[in-house]
Amino acid sequence: MGEVILTMKGIDKSFPGVHALDHVDLEIRKGEVHALMGENGAGKSTLMKVLTGIYSMDEGSITYEGKQVTFTNPREAQAAGIVIVHQELNMMNHLTVAQNIFIGREMMSGKLINDSKMNKEAIKLFQKLNIDINPNDKMGDLTVGKQQMCEIAKAISHEAKVIIFDEPSAALTETEIEELFKIIRDLRDQGLGIVYISHRMDEIKVITDRVTVMRDGGYVGTLITKDSTKDDIINMMVGRVIYEDPKTESNVAPDAPVVLKVEHLNAGKMVRDVSFELHKGEILGFSGLMGAGRTETARALFGADPKDGGDIYINGTKVDIKTPMDAVKAGIGYLSEDRKRFGIVVAKTVAENSTMANLDNFTSGLFINKKKENQIAQRYVEELKTKTPTVDTEVVNLSGGNQQKVVIAKWLVRNCDILIFDEPTRGIDVGAKSEIYHLMNELVAEGKSIIMISSEMTEVLRMSDRIVVMCEGKKTGEIDIAEATQENIMHAATLRD
Amino acid sequence: MENFKNNKIIKKIGFNRVVLIGVLILMYFAFALVCSIMGKASFINYQRILSLLNYSYFLGFLALGVTFVIATGGIDFSIGTVMFCAALVGGQLLTKSGLPVILCLLICVAVGVIFGMLNGFMVAYMGLPSFISSMASMMLSKGIGSVFTKTQSVSWPQATADDGWYRSLVKVTVGGVTIPTGLIFLIIVAIICSMILNKTKAGRYILCLGSNKEAVRLSGVNVKKWECLAYVICGTLAGIAAIVFVGAYSTVQPGLGDTYNNDAIASCVMGGTSMSGGLASIGGAFIGVMIISLLQEGILAMGFQKDWQYVITGIIVIIAVYADVRSRKRRN
Repeated sequence: MGEVILTMKGIDKSFPGVHALDHVDLEIRKGEVHALMGENGAGKSTLMKVLTGIYSMDEGSITYEGKQVTFTNPREAQAAGIVIVHQELNMMNHLTVAQNIFIGREMMSGKLINDSKMNKEAIKLFQKLNIDINPNDKMGDLTVGKQQMCEIAKAISHEAKVIIFDEPSAALTETEIEELFKIIRDLRDQGLGIVYISHRMDEIKVITDRVTVMRDGGYVGTLITKDSTKDDIINMMVGRVIYEDPKTESNVAPDAPVVLKVEHLNAGKMVRDVSFELHKGEILGFSGLMGAGRTETARALFGADPKDGGDIYINGTKVDIKTPMDAVKAGIGYLSEDRKRFGIVVAKTVAENSTMANLDNFTSGLFINKKKENQIAQRYVEELKTKTPTVDTEVVNLSGGNQQKVVIAKWLVRNCDILIFDEPTRGIDVGAKSEIYHLMNELVAEGKSIIMISSEMTEVLRMSDRIVVMCEGKKTGEIDIAEATQENIMHAATLRD
Repeated sequence: MENFKNNKIIKKIGFNRVVLIGVLILMYFAFALVCSIMGKASFINYQRILSLLNYSYFLGFLALGVTFVIATGGIDFSIGTVMFCAALVGGQLLTKSGLPVILCLLICVAVGVIFGMLNGFMVAYMGLPSFISSMASMMLSKGIGSVFTKTQSVSWPQATADDGWYRSLVKVTVGGVTIPTGLIFLIIVAIICSMILNKTKAGRYILCLGSNKEAVRLSGVNVKKWECLAYVICGTLAGIAAIVFVGAYSTVQPGLGDTYNNDAIASCVMGGTSMSGGLASIGGAFIGVMIISLLQEGILAMGFQKDWQYVITGIIVIIAVYADVRSRKRRN
């Protein structure tokens, strides 16, 4: 490890209603790989966005190569030598490798683009990285691993001194990860500072020199990787004080019947052999880190995405769910994590959205019974305390929490017995949040059953009767609430095979 | 202005449509004024209105139909040629094969329904983009119409002929006075369309899926069925358009019909139907049709070349679509 190249000190950033970064420190040295770790929403990405000028900071200072700097956009940061290699690659598949690397600063001969010169330059970059890619290949024909190497080549072509890798291994195979690590070590040995963001504990141990842990937007501490254990890091990640009372024991009767049984569910890469049971009156929490396959499991179960295999039983009877239509008929309702895209029709009214899943019941003869429709919509507006001027108001005018209540109303109007709540409180303010918690408790008290996918540990511990933990498409744990702790959940969530 | 906008009746009709009606009336008197200044025959006369209405009937049915498709967020470029294909096939069977008129009229509608089903199947079940699939069925319908008649024009019987009764669907002359029955026919169908769109489950789902198809699908709704239905309704109305076309003009030439797509789509857009789906107005489409028909008649009356109509329609469409885009941006 060499001298310090980058210091972020006391970085503070707030968004309306959220204190996203609370005086965070980060120090990167030349020739080190520095892991940045934390749960979903810990503030890792926000910190990197502040560093590269996507967000401005409210307080704090950034010192880079001995000088105090503030970047106002990623281009400036890039010009100074700080480059991010994103998890989602920003590549144009129809252009060649070289054209992608030099996009926005094409080499010209007169008014024309000089492709052969760019190809030659690209080859030089690849030689530096010791990799073999034909710069004339179309980007789209390359594997994800190779595409990522092109992204790295692009980064070093900017004379990068600090490279930030944002979950670089998420889409890679084992061999590709090995190659990536070789390149990262080479870059480190050349004296670059590397920031490595990842959830994968084993990788952190293998590739990084130091680890900085963040939690809930705050700085927790920095460790030397080789002197610390996986448990040390997990404890730092989850060691928060839970303000709201966690549930201490399951509210489900021991003899409650199984309403939903999923066996060996498979769907693509993200759902691999998932089995679980849901009891009557139970809130079954689904915990895991980003990309664990929880939403994918829910969507496959609901018929929103095709299944590769697996059996679903409802009240003991096997059902064949191929489409959301089949799922709704079987009594399953799904609240998506992305309300605006998958939950509501924003341009339609509260009443129209409320009856969306059950319009047959509000149709007499040929026509929709508007009066009956408005009545039921009004009833649920009152029951769920949805704040809306009238039931004829378009939902686009409602706040996030109230839009969520309209989606809930939709499934209650349909009278679904099994509800899948995918991140039910995402983007919702604190008041509406506790109302939704209250509502969920009421629903299970009435005998409905809920699968709750949540990335918030406090929410999982507060609401669930039992917790299923997933990691990389597989179920890696099932914990009764009486035994659940942040630590054992996080352990299961980072359990790779 | 705000008071005017918030007036109960204005709100019910829709502010944009009130403006449109104003435009229609203004245009009418503007044409009348220009014609009298230019020393042309008076524009304010019943024959003119009848001629204008003749154009509006078939265009009206096309526009009503395509409103359903645009409401889903799709487009149908085959309506004009499907109408001609239906009129050619029906007319050929009537004049050459001697089938009874009533059967031939039903065949016209059937041809429309078949093309509607084809378009709906391609878009909803095969997942083709409607722009391309309807262009393909435009070629199909154009070609089939020509092949079926061996590229000959087909003349449906005149009103005075034995089989001419069908023309009373468009107009009836009683004691020397011509009654535009076609207008009544069009208005009745427009009211039915409006009820389907706004009061039935089909219309509700068509509008909702035009707005956010995935959310509707995830509500357990059979979106394919309803999306397909919009195209079937559109095709059916193109078939009916064929009947009123021959009722008004009797002669159909093969190889034509595509220009009417543009007129019909322009009518819808003018009337406030959003090209991105989810928002549709039958009344607006109706007024749009009247504006385009008036434009066509007015330009003829002033003695200008017919193609000026396209120039002006083009400009109106740009303004209408721009207004749509603007208002959507404001909402977001």
